[in-house]
Amino acid sequence: MKKGYIYTIIFIMAVSIVFSGLLAVVNAAFKNRIEINEKAAGQKSILYAMGFDSEGMDAVDFFEQNVVERKSGDVAYYAARTAEGSMVYAVPFAGSGLWGTIKGYIGIDGSFTRMIGIAFTEQNETPGLGGRIDEEWYKEQFRGISLEGDVSYGGDSGIDAITGATSTSNAVLNILNEFMSTTLKEVEAAGEE
Amino acid sequence: MKNDLRTVFYRNLWKENPVIRQILGICSALAVTNRVDNSLVMGIGLMFVTAFSSLTLSALRNSIPDRIRMIVQTLVIAAYVIIVDILIKAGLPEISKALGPYVGLIITNCIIMGRAEAFARKNPPVISFFDGLFAGIGYTIILLCIALVREILGFGTVFGYNVNFLNFTNWTIMVVPPGAFFMIAILIWISSGAMDRRLRKKERS
Repeated sequence: MKKGYIYTIIFIMAVSIVFSGLLAVVNAAFKNRIEINEKAAGQKSILYAMGFDSEGMDAVDFFEQNVVERKSGDVAYYAARTAEGSMVYAVPFAGSGLWGTIKGYIGIDGSFTRMIGIAFTEQNETPGLGGRIDEEWYKEQFRGISLEGDVSYGGDSGIDAITGATSTSNAVLNILNEFMSTTLKEVEAAGEE
Repeated sequence: MKNDLRTVFYRNLWKENPVIRQILGICSALAVTNRVDNSLVMGIGLMFVTAFSSLTLSALRNSIPDRIRMIVQTLVIAAYVIIVDILIKAGLPEISKALGPYVGLIITNCIIMGRAEAFARKNPPVISFFDGLFAGIGYTIILLCIALVREILGFGTVFGYNVNFLNFTNWTIMVVPPGAFFMIAILIWISSGAMDRRLRKKERS
């Protein structure tokens, strides 16, 4: 259908305004819900890295009551006391995976000698291959490994890589080793002051 | 061309099925089909977007100036895709994490613009709505077929439940995109074969 320029311009403006308005309304309506979801997911990850079993309890409530945020330089990390009374920390890490940035938390015991656990909050690895770093069996391997020296494959406290996802598995170990020699040292030093 | 509900249904689900007959929407069909649950959510998202964008564009079809119709189509489709993305993020955060960027990429799915151009532009709103919905269902069914085979062979599970009773070794190839290429090719082969046979039968009689 042939229409004049003025009509065309008015039409596209009207359509843009109507649909932008619609999106603004939907966005406003669900914004809180999405923020709550994201916050809860982050808190669950922190609890998981610290070794708390958040299954079957209100993770958000538990987090608010037990976990405190601390700062060391630019790094905001989390501290909590376990049922046995010892301190545990969850320190955020980030590094490049195969396709994008991998982010998450690493749980450390109070004396900074053992890793308690690892949790991933953000990763863009291949679904079904590198994406499997988010599976339990992979994350559970990191519980209790020593922070002395580099983390490597095989051996007594060694880690198994994911079949078909060697690059991602290597990337995670690199991120970990890098993290231990930089961020972790800073946090530890700051904690002692 | 007749455009009643039955013809539209038959055309979108079988005769001109978007994935295996028109080879549209292949990108997401390769990407999200290694798990049944992801495919299902993706399919429902696409159904929603094609149905409502067809409805909207058809309702506006007499007032959209021809030379900017593609801009308007993209705008309307984008709006619905963002709505779907927000709804999934709010209601199914786990699935949203698994689907990653693919929900946003529904917008680049040729099926939606294909239906808008080929059907909604020339037909009244209600039948356009169903045309979009059926195209989405046609897409979803194919995705689920592919995902079912890929998940069983690649992970030994369906909807995450273990079905690997024979204890076979999982086929990693089924988890990565090439697995989907094989599955799509097999489905195209089956559907083309069936279509040819029917055609030959018609010629003989």
